[in-house]
Amino acid sequence: MWRIRAFEERVGELTRANEVHGLVHLSIGGEGVAVGVCGALRDDDVVYSGHRAHGHAIAKGAPPAAVLAELMGREGGLCHGLGGSMHLVDVEHGFFGATGVVGGNVPLALGSALAARLAGGDNVAVVFFGDGAVQGGIFVESVNIAALWALPVILVCENNGFAEFTPRSAHTTVERVSDVVAPYPIERLTVDGGDVRAVRVAFSQFLDAARAGGGPMLLECLTHRFGGHYEGDAQQYRERLAADEWRRVDPIARLGIADHGVELEARDEIDEAERVARASPFPDASLMERLVYAP
Amino acid sequence: MPEPLDTQRLTWMLTQMLRIREFEERVKRTFEEHPGVIRGHTHLADGAEASIVGALAALRPDDHVLTTYRCHGYPLALGTDPNAMMAEIYGRSDGLCGGYGGSMHLTDTARGFLGTSGIVGQGIPHAVGAAYAAQISGRGQVVLSFFGDGASKQGAFHESLNIASLWKLPVVFVMENNNYNVVTRTEQEDANAAAGEPLAVKATAYSMPGTTVDGGDPVAVYETVGAAVDRARSGEGPTLVESLVYRLSAHGNIIAPPGIPLHFPEHEAITVFGNAEEYEAAKRGDPVPRFRGRLVSDGTISAEEADAIAEQVQAEMQGAVDFGLKSPFPAPEAAVNFVYA
Amino acid sequence: MAHELPYIAAIEEAIREEMERDPTVLYFGQNIATHENDPFLKQFGADRVRVTPISETAEIGMAVGAAFAGYRPVVELYMAEFMLVAMDQVVNEAPRFHYMSGGQVKVPIVLKAGYGFTAGWAGQHTGSIYGMFMGVPGLKVAVPSTADDAKGLMTAAIRDDNPVVYFHHYLLTLEHGDVTDGEHVVPLGQAAVRREGGDVTIVAIGWLVGKALAAAEELAAAGIEAEVIDPRTLAPLDTETILRSVEKTGRLVVVDQSTRHGSAAAVIAAEVASEGFGSLKAPVKLVTALDATIPYSEPMEGYLLPDETKIAAAVREAVAEAVSA
Repeated sequence: MWRIRAFEERVGELTRANEVHGLVHLSIGGEGVAVGVCGALRDDDVVYSGHRAHGHAIAKGAPPAAVLAELMGREGGLCHGLGGSMHLVDVEHGFFGATGVVGGNVPLALGSALAARLAGGDNVAVVFFGDGAVQGGIFVESVNIAALWALPVILVCENNGFAEFTPRSAHTTVERVSDVVAPYPIERLTVDGGDVRAVRVAFSQFLDAARAGGGPMLLECLTHRFGGHYEGDAQQYRERLAADEWRRVDPIARLGIADHGVELEARDEIDEAERVARASPFPDASLMERLVYAP
Repeated sequence: MPEPLDTQRLTWMLTQMLRIREFEERVKRTFEEHPGVIRGHTHLADGAEASIVGALAALRPDDHVLTTYRCHGYPLALGTDPNAMMAEIYGRSDGLCGGYGGSMHLTDTARGFLGTSGIVGQGIPHAVGAAYAAQISGRGQVVLSFFGDGASKQGAFHESLNIASLWKLPVVFVMENNNYNVVTRTEQEDANAAAGEPLAVKATAYSMPGTTVDGGDPVAVYETVGAAVDRARSGEGPTLVESLVYRLSAHGNIIAPPGIPLHFPEHEAITVFGNAEEYEAAKRGDPVPRFRGRLVSDGTISAEEADAIAEQVQAEMQGAVDFGLKSPFPAPEAAVNFVYA
Repeated sequence: MAHELPYIAAIEEAIREEMERDPTVLYFGQNIATHENDPFLKQFGADRVRVTPISETAEIGMAVGAAFAGYRPVVELYMAEFMLVAMDQVVNEAPRFHYMSGGQVKVPIVLKAGYGFTAGWAGQHTGSIYGMFMGVPGLKVAVPSTADDAKGLMTAAIRDDNPVVYFHHYLLTLEHGDVTDGEHVVPLGQAAVRREGGDVTIVAIGWLVGKALAAAEELAAAGIEAEVIDPRTLAPLDTETILRSVEKTGRLVVVDQSTRHGSAAAVIAAEVASEGFGSLKAPVKLVTALDATIPYSEPMEGYLLPDETKIAAAVREAVAEAVSA
């Protein structure tokens, strides 16, 4: 969790210094979910995410240096600078991608789950999305098919109560995301996303069942989005948490490990990642033309 | 609670059911008797008359109705001229829409039948928009949104019911579940149906009541939809009504390129699933003769009156066919009219 | 009389003034009017101004249905690509009903969406996809390049009884300009000549109008006088004004941020080649984005896109070449 926290804090600084440009969404506050879920997975399990994907990518095994280089638009980035923050992909570690389209990866996760089932393995697909995605048609189309075909896909919803700049109450009458899928034959659970242990326990139950041929499942994680929707969002639409209130929801603080060594090691790793990223050159323009079509 | 139905209203309901049945029969017969007159794809409502008429009986004249490509039944009950409807299906200039839309896009704004999309599910958000308009216009109008069970798997269904519930819009969603989507049975494509559950359970995701009703009983439909209409009209928001119907014709006429005569094949229960028994049972339970029999046997009307209505209806719909056949085609250059308002 | 406003405020002014004038105009979409101090909400109330969930199919479909029932909705879609989720409603529903109903219904909706945000917003948020919406019968497409036109075209779009896709360029958001006071309509389907010149016609779209004008200044120093035309509306397209200009100059360079085959430039070039061939002294030049998804990394992003240098180079080529008679 500290690796993600340190990484996101560094990205925030670099964004404010204009060294990471474009649209950036930080997952400070979401580390418990990223680690609770991805830490239980193998490289051959497939993970998809949304636009707030840095934490998921790193927790799934993407090297921070490569992620940072991507955000800085360098050749050494995960996607050689072609994708950026919202389009991170690390196939080697089973991270099939972030997306800028709300809910856009949910059907893709179904495809990966179907492929896993057809190949006869016990790998699974996981897709992260926010509470705002649940009102979109693409979500329920996917839930119906996943349930109908009993696919080994675990839908992980990070419900932070906000979809961009509006609270959940402006989007729907149904407070709990798990209630939105209630009509469908799909296992569902709501957990405190700020408690990494609780997330891990709940997710592992679903994971074991999916590996054994079960699925789909929905894990709703109640979280707190520390920052704005994007870096630069002045957040006039919500009240900032006081420091003591933040400590009570912060997944790192709640884990209650007093050893500073973990934090220091993480910060060192991120310092090194920044050095490596900076050393990477900007990509050559010819790269683009080569990658429009697969050969 | 909706007003109890008196003899006059019950007779009206039977008449409308007979009119819809006769109209659809004439459309179907046109394929045999006048080949080439109907082009493209047409979808009939025979079997759904009780559901259509029972639902529409609950409306006021200034309410609005939107539906799907299977749209012939509703305007008939709303009072649209069957001559204009048949002429439209025959592509003539006296058609309801001047020949511009055809069978799948019937529109009669004067009677609150606002505009029909042929794309599964996409008319549901249109109905929600009309309900939003009704809410802020403040005249107490309600909107009925008709669609099939297949549409409930479309994202548009989910998004529309969520918003209608959130804004407490005066709309009643009537899902006619005929258990088929073309050649697919509902349990093959719907997780709830596969689990043996009624589709009305989907309503629980939208904080709205969901209820299932026998769509073959027009009075039951009237009472169920009527209660939902009252709820909507009083500002309490939408309802999902699942109306169980059986479509007595195939999904539509065959799809074929020009040169091959179009016709209505047998029902998919027989041609795809080999289940003639299911189809025969549905025919035995045909809601139109069933309702006629009920009204005669409980003394609401006499057999003679019922026969007289049937005769009148046959003459009316024969007239529609004659009108349509005699109606001229639009001038070719009319094709570029109405591109822009 | 005029007052200075940034482009984005000029658009809001048009919406507000039309909502004041016409009680049937509605304004809804994601992330608007979410707090009680929102100016639109305060002025027009929660009936006419509403926030929606992330449900583009329902948002645009609702606009169609409300239009059937006599209202004039403006839907805030934020980004052009978000319309793609609901392409059926935009292309296959809204523009069809007036026709399919034989003229009974009208669908006076405005779909407002930003485009072209080539500032690191990467592959899915940055496209100039207006080409997809041209040639759809019944659908109109507006692309203002100045604050004044932004106001005037929005007013026209709201008043038009047809569905209008209104694309505002994200890089122009804070560009200030003189905006006409009060009621201001820029008719849809009418191009504007931004600069007169006799040597070459440059047709540029949206944000690139400014780049074309800058290139024209540079070229003027070299003795080449460019006429710069801003179509302002892409559907219906004012081919008349473009043809008249090419008749005068004999040379055409079309500048468009879209990719080549999806561009308005390709349509304009075809029209001039077809209807104005006799005027042409050189082949038509297209300066468009290269055929790739917009990459995230800045130097690659810049490489793909038209700029003043590329425009000036294309003009020089057009001026140097001649068509053999």
